[in-house]
Amino acid sequence: MDKRLLEILVCPVSQAPLVYRPEHNELWCRASRLAYPVRDGVPVMLEEEARALSEAEAEQLK
Amino acid sequence: MSRPEDPKTEPQSGATTHFGFSQVPVQEKQRRVASVFSSVASKYDLMNDLMSFGVHRLWKRFVIDLAGVRAGEKVLDVAGGTGDLTREFAKAVGPKGLSILSDINAAMLGEGRNRLADAGLVTVPAVQANAEKLPFADDTFDLITIGFGLRNVTDKDAALRSMTRCLKPGGRLMVLEFSKPVLEPLAKVYDQYSFKLLPLMGKLVANDADSYRYLAESIRMHPDQATLKGMMENAGLSRVQVYNLTGGIVAVHRGFKLD
Repeated sequence: MDKRLLEILVCPVSQAPLVYRPEHNELWCRASRLAYPVRDGVPVMLEEEARALSEAEAEQLK
Repeated sequence: MSRPEDPKTEPQSGATTHFGFSQVPVQEKQRRVASVFSSVASKYDLMNDLMSFGVHRLWKRFVIDLAGVRAGEKVLDVAGGTGDLTREFAKAVGPKGLSILSDINAAMLGEGRNRLADAGLVTVPAVQANAEKLPFADDTFDLITIGFGLRNVTDKDAALRSMTRCLKPGGRLMVLEFSKPVLEPLAKVYDQYSFKLLPLMGKLVANDADSYRYLAESIRMHPDQATLKGMMENAGLSRVQVYNLTGGIVAVHRGFKLD
């Protein structure tokens, strides 16, 4: 994940900053509780492609 | 800053929008546009050359020259497709700057990344994103471009607001899009060309007349020069200038975010 890209990426739903989770290869948003996949190095920042975080996963962001 | 309040333009279910000349449910348009571009992605550059007799390269060159990108700037190309603009911006911003390719369509983005790699630009970031809901922080970019993309967006006002939000104060948005020919004789020839010849070429080259018929129809449905200028001003941009190219078949609109 490009560090300079991560600095300016936000969640398209909440516009809050994102946390990159390398073990899932996803970008997580605490505010919207959505996880965006990174496919082939490309962040897929579409709400309809995002996965809802579980309670346990959302807890990890606190 | 004085950004206009976001009006509730969220389409009601049951509302329709145009898909070329057809009316389709609002929720349908994005899916159908996606299917057109997934279908044409691999032959997109070839078709652009044939459709415009190579002139699309001059139109893009005009945008690149007018953009005057400097080293160190941050640039976003929305609906960047096969990466023609991103490639030139990446060279201009240099190692301290940032040039990002974005598109809503994975197939188009894949083509764009391949082209960038062909040009030796493997570190240019690519982001799959919807122009209406850009995933970038406020006040980030010195320049945002959208070339031949705005007419495929379902809610153009939302896209213009979203792009304006992501511009730095002092930053500029440039829209390159088909527009309305300013001379009547040219308009007639152009009509014949786009509704007869264009779908035929689409069929012969890409075996896909329907997708190219959509492209021709969507060009006609796109707002003319004055309307788009007004939409950009409503989105919060100032000092909007219009540059007609090839007799207004294509126009470049440039506006600034002043605060």
